[in-house]
Amino acid sequence: MSWRKDEDERLDGDEGDEELDENDYKTQKDAVLFAIDVSKSMLKPPQTTGDKKADKDSALTAALTCAYQIMQQRIISQPRDMMGVLLFGTEKSKFRDDSGSGTGYPHCYLLSDLDIPGAEDVKKLKALVEDGEDEDEIMVPSKEPVIMSNMLFCANQVFTTNAANFGSRRLFIVTDNDDPHAGDKQAKSSAAVRAKDLYDLGVVIELFPISREDKKFDLSKFYDDIIYRDPAAEAGQSEGPKTSKSGDGLTLLNSLISNINSKQTPKRSYFSNLPFELAPGLTISIKGYMPLTRQTPTRSCYVYEGEEQAQVVQSETAQVDFAARTVEKSELRKGYKFGGEHICFKPEELAELKQMGKKTLRIIGFKKRSKIPSWASVKKSIFIFPSEEQYVGSTRVFSALWQKLLKDDKVGIAWFVARENAHPVMVAIFPSGNPDDEEANTPYLPAGLWLYPLPFADDVRSVDHVTAPPRPADELTDQMRQVIQNLQLPKAMYDPRRYPNPSLQWHYKILQAKALDEETPDAIDDLTLPKYRQIDKRVGGYLAEWKEMLAKKANDLQNTRAFKREFEEDDERPAKRAKPSKKAASGGGGPANSNADLKKAFEQGTLGKMTVAELKDIMASKGISTAGRKAELAERLEQWVEENL
Amino acid sequence: MADKEATVYVIDLGESMADCHNGRNESNLDFGMRYIWDKISTTVAASRKTWNVGVVGLNTDETNNNENREEYQGYENISVLKELGPMTMTSLRVLKSKIEPSSTSSADAISAIVVALRMIQTFTKKLKYKRKIIVVTNGESPIDDDQSEEVANMLNDVGIELIVLGVDFDDAEYGFKEEDKPRHKEQNEKILKTLVDHCESGAFGTMAQAVEELATPRIKSVRPFKAYDGPLTLGDPQKYPSALSIQVERYFKTKRATPPSASNVANPNGPPQTQVWDEDHGVPFSGVGFQPVKQLRTYRIEDSKAAGGKKDVDMEDLAKAYQYGRTVVPFGKSEEDYLKYETTKSFTIIGFVPMSSYEPFLNMGETGLIVAQKVNEEAELGLSALIHALHELESYAVARYVNKDKAPPQILLLKPNPAIEDDIECLYDIPLPFAEDVRSYQFPPLDKVLTITGNVLTEHRLLPNNDLQQAMSDYVDAMDLTEYGQDDDGHPAEYAPVDDLYNPVIHHMNQAIRNRAVNPDAPLPPVAEILTRFTHPPEPLIAKAKTEIDGLIKAAEVKKVPPKVQGKRGRKDTVKPLSGLDIDALLGETRPRTKKTPIISTENAIPEFKQILETAEDDETIETAAKQMGNIICKLVSDSFADVLYPRAAENLRVMREELINMEVPTLYNKYITKLKESLLSGNLNGDRREMWFRWIVGGRLGLITQDESEVSEVSEKEAKAFLK
Repeated sequence: MSWRKDEDERLDGDEGDEELDENDYKTQKDAVLFAIDVSKSMLKPPQTTGDKKADKDSALTAALTCAYQIMQQRIISQPRDMMGVLLFGTEKSKFRDDSGSGTGYPHCYLLSDLDIPGAEDVKKLKALVEDGEDEDEIMVPSKEPVIMSNMLFCANQVFTTNAANFGSRRLFIVTDNDDPHAGDKQAKSSAAVRAKDLYDLGVVIELFPISREDKKFDLSKFYDDIIYRDPAAEAGQSEGPKTSKSGDGLTLLNSLISNINSKQTPKRSYFSNLPFELAPGLTISIKGYMPLTRQTPTRSCYVYEGEEQAQVVQSETAQVDFAARTVEKSELRKGYKFGGEHICFKPEELAELKQMGKKTLRIIGFKKRSKIPSWASVKKSIFIFPSEEQYVGSTRVFSALWQKLLKDDKVGIAWFVARENAHPVMVAIFPSGNPDDEEANTPYLPAGLWLYPLPFADDVRSVDHVTAPPRPADELTDQMRQVIQNLQLPKAMYDPRRYPNPSLQWHYKILQAKALDEETPDAIDDLTLPKYRQIDKRVGGYLAEWKEMLAKKANDLQNTRAFKREFEEDDERPAKRAKPSKKAASGGGGPANSNADLKKAFEQGTLGKMTVAELKDIMASKGISTAGRKAELAERLEQWVEENL
Repeated sequence: MADKEATVYVIDLGESMADCHNGRNESNLDFGMRYIWDKISTTVAASRKTWNVGVVGLNTDETNNNENREEYQGYENISVLKELGPMTMTSLRVLKSKIEPSSTSSADAISAIVVALRMIQTFTKKLKYKRKIIVVTNGESPIDDDQSEEVANMLNDVGIELIVLGVDFDDAEYGFKEEDKPRHKEQNEKILKTLVDHCESGAFGTMAQAVEELATPRIKSVRPFKAYDGPLTLGDPQKYPSALSIQVERYFKTKRATPPSASNVANPNGPPQTQVWDEDHGVPFSGVGFQPVKQLRTYRIEDSKAAGGKKDVDMEDLAKAYQYGRTVVPFGKSEEDYLKYETTKSFTIIGFVPMSSYEPFLNMGETGLIVAQKVNEEAELGLSALIHALHELESYAVARYVNKDKAPPQILLLKPNPAIEDDIECLYDIPLPFAEDVRSYQFPPLDKVLTITGNVLTEHRLLPNNDLQQAMSDYVDAMDLTEYGQDDDGHPAEYAPVDDLYNPVIHHMNQAIRNRAVNPDAPLPPVAEILTRFTHPPEPLIAKAKTEIDGLIKAAEVKKVPPKVQGKRGRKDTVKPLSGLDIDALLGETRPRTKKTPIISTENAIPEFKQILETAEDDETIETAAKQMGNIICKLVSDSFADVLYPRAAENLRVMREELINMEVPTLYNKYITKLKESLLSGNLNGDRREMWFRWIVGGRLGLITQDESEVSEVSEKEAKAFLK
């Protein structure tokens, strides 16, 4: 897939030709291998309680369903990342192509190899989960217990060969057995050694224990020897594994999904070890992340269907001049179009032009939060978090700043260059509160600081041609307040998690249906659509009254204006033709200005007598397209008058 | 679409313009031309056919203008240097050659204005134009003011704006007065000032101010673009009679401006004979020679039967496809439409949220501005009521926005502005994230430390103590910018508001391009001061806050990590699993190895290599381990079918490099990589392995270990760079 390589390696495509920095040494890809325990207890259906909402899934089904859902989710949100599913404790053994019993990893069954998931992998899981098909009798527990060290080494090999240089590699173990080698010290030691291998290889083990029937999952029996937490990494990060179970109105599946989801996304940094110059003479180091990024469908590519299997086409570009002569790279110059020619710079001059100082985040002062204009937005924000790697004490200083900004509703104003050669921006530094707080505004985002890009003066569009004179609040406003108060969103906040992107969901639904040869769906559940019935029920009465009031008021206003216009017209010298004043052309010119005239001109059929410039002025002020010849303009304006006046 | 323009520059080329005055070390003419070249090159840069420029020379040695006929007098030594018309690089060059001081000083400036006036009159006829005459003079040549009132009336009739910029003219407003001004100049200044005053639109000023103002970036104005025109609804008007519908229009409020973009160009005559980069050989960097190049796209597929393993295919034989994971799903033209979610143009409110629940960092992009449809009283009043009600209740609306049929829906946050921020009443809108746009990254809390055993600590080296918190609070308060700036009247005002923030890259590049166009030989201009104003905190504020800054630094106790500590050698605290199990001892038992012959297996190379180094007690062990690792890497490369095993080889190499840096034996690695480079490039490893070198080693920055990375290395940064070439 080299046709997309460039995008792959550049995290933020926004900024043209930026150089890659240290983050890109290793490919920022993620590989997750699910290792799911197949045992009698995992297969056991839950006790029937008679409750309709009670769990019907066995732990194994829940685990597989979870893997199935996460696979589908990753195809959408992490289309470059790998995933695999390894079952252990199975009677059958399978590793890659050498099927049968001759593998080096008895009772390990590699259901889908570690790779970017494809249609077959989804299909395979789907068959097991939704249709309960198990033709190959995979889900049969072995009679003798699986040797954990074998399973761990099997995983080791999967990672070594398939995701050799991935920046993030994780083994997700799902099991309900807290003591697979009870009493067998030798086997426990071997497992510990293989776990150390994985640690040295750079693979992180995440355990997702399942407890059933209120039996506690005891980590100290086995898994504490398997799991590592790097003490030098981020302190406090090391919360122990959360046990999944059913109960409290939560099915085992939901509990498992929520636990796995919290670990699912690999943390990708946008930059690391950026100096944060908090004050002259005080620098700490930070890492940057982008927890908010627009997810879009993967771009289309071209395939050649000539041979038996469709093959993705690689495209190559060559530079040719107008005589179709191929131009060598050394001959190419970067030219800026200027007055019909190209202005060129030497490469070193080009580099100098773009260089606006070293990469840094430098505070120039602080402001009240309210000083940031409410419209001042151009780009998504970047999350920053301290790192002790370059400066010891970074975390405590960062925390002090964070607490101060939160407490006093202040923001930092800073000069920010994300990478060498990146375009500089001014940012406001906003704090985000603790997600665990009862009243957290963003329970789905971490606590820390955010670099909020401020628009440059160049980014602000002038709006002076639109006129909406301020008017005082009145009964209409009072009535509208009732409506607003009765239509608060749940929990009085916008929670993005409630609103999946309908066009993205649709794209992948269709794609999946075609990839899996399924029937295409007619519709999806679009959660962004307002709850119309509820709106009508809650505020329909207020709205009806309000509309009546509005109609009357609007009518009054119309009459006042008409009267005023007549009055003004009598007063002034009658203009021979509607000559637009300079003011009307450039700005101002209220709606009352020319509507009566226009209507009159229309009725008298004199619209066509205006000059092109006059027509265009009027039309531009009405927001009508001003493209085309005079006849077209006049016709368009006539049509508009007919429809609107 | 901008208005048509006709601008004539009247430039005084008189004898005295060659002099340097007022302590300047450039001539009066060069000083004035700084302004004119800037204006003209801006026009060239815009390359609009409807922007016309003419140039009239005042005090030229020759006389060449239409007014100089027998019946008139006073038009001598005035020449049209460029007729009104679009400005190109060619005309710029021609003009440039004509701007030379003359040896006369007798022409009449008002006559020159009349020449310019006639040019505009003839050129623009009665059509709609922005007409302008800009006069640059030092006011030394005699002016006959008999008809100045008449000229002013003519200018007004035609609708021309007259701008007079005088070199060293007095300007009380700007605060400039020339000492020892000659009488005749003083008189001329007066005459010109009176003329400008008679004009309906005109300006009179001193050159110094005009030149100074050039530094202030000019922002390209863009005509407002209407992104949406239709109803904003609450409820579904199709289904429920109660539903509300207000006709609105939506415009862009912010839109990211981008720096000028370069295109690939080349000289069509092929590579020049002389060394292009040679400074001594003229200026081959701009000029007529360069032509844009086109991209020619070819499509290839892998084909083992074809030469080179690849086969060209025709564009016509290709089908479009999308990827579902690694599965490629071809879509025909007719099917492709089906991938698009069916929507209809609409803008409808989902619900309301209190302002306090919203965080600005949720913004996903550019802002829009919503006003009522024009000439629609119902819409005006309706939207106004919504804006005021939202404002009074301190609430925002959340809406679903589809700007046209079949467009993907967006979620917008609607913020009320009852004419407070812009002086128009409107709603601002800001795009919000969807569920898929949120990545749930986990971070530890910042105000407490959780231990592995589940304890919560509130005092820890990672947490600020009271002193630090107080020092930070004092510092933040001391560095407040809310009222640090000054407004036009000198009152305290916000420092660095958005209006003052200019995009440094855009303006610096534009300036450099214009400079190069006018003066191809000149070096790059420095970055204008106004563009770098906000890169650092203001000096006076730092001085004022010195106590707080020092206090903060003291309380923070931040220490830079010296690079050497990163080395691992001699560090005994090895990693342990959660249980604290002595894994080293276990390893010693399960993988007994004699000291001198550790064995590293290919399949488990990385862990075993690391484990050996962790317990290595002498250099010999390290050396043997490195040698074995090296052999494994070579074997992986030579066993690799095409590039299949390259990632693995590269990862082994990366680990080897990192570990040998930690062990402080960079030479071991540097020797190995030098040999490996040779083998890869000479084809000694079972075929063409250049890709391993270029993509994985050069691309992965796995070259020589430099002194920067390890103090004991003898390789300099420069050598390491050369090695990778």
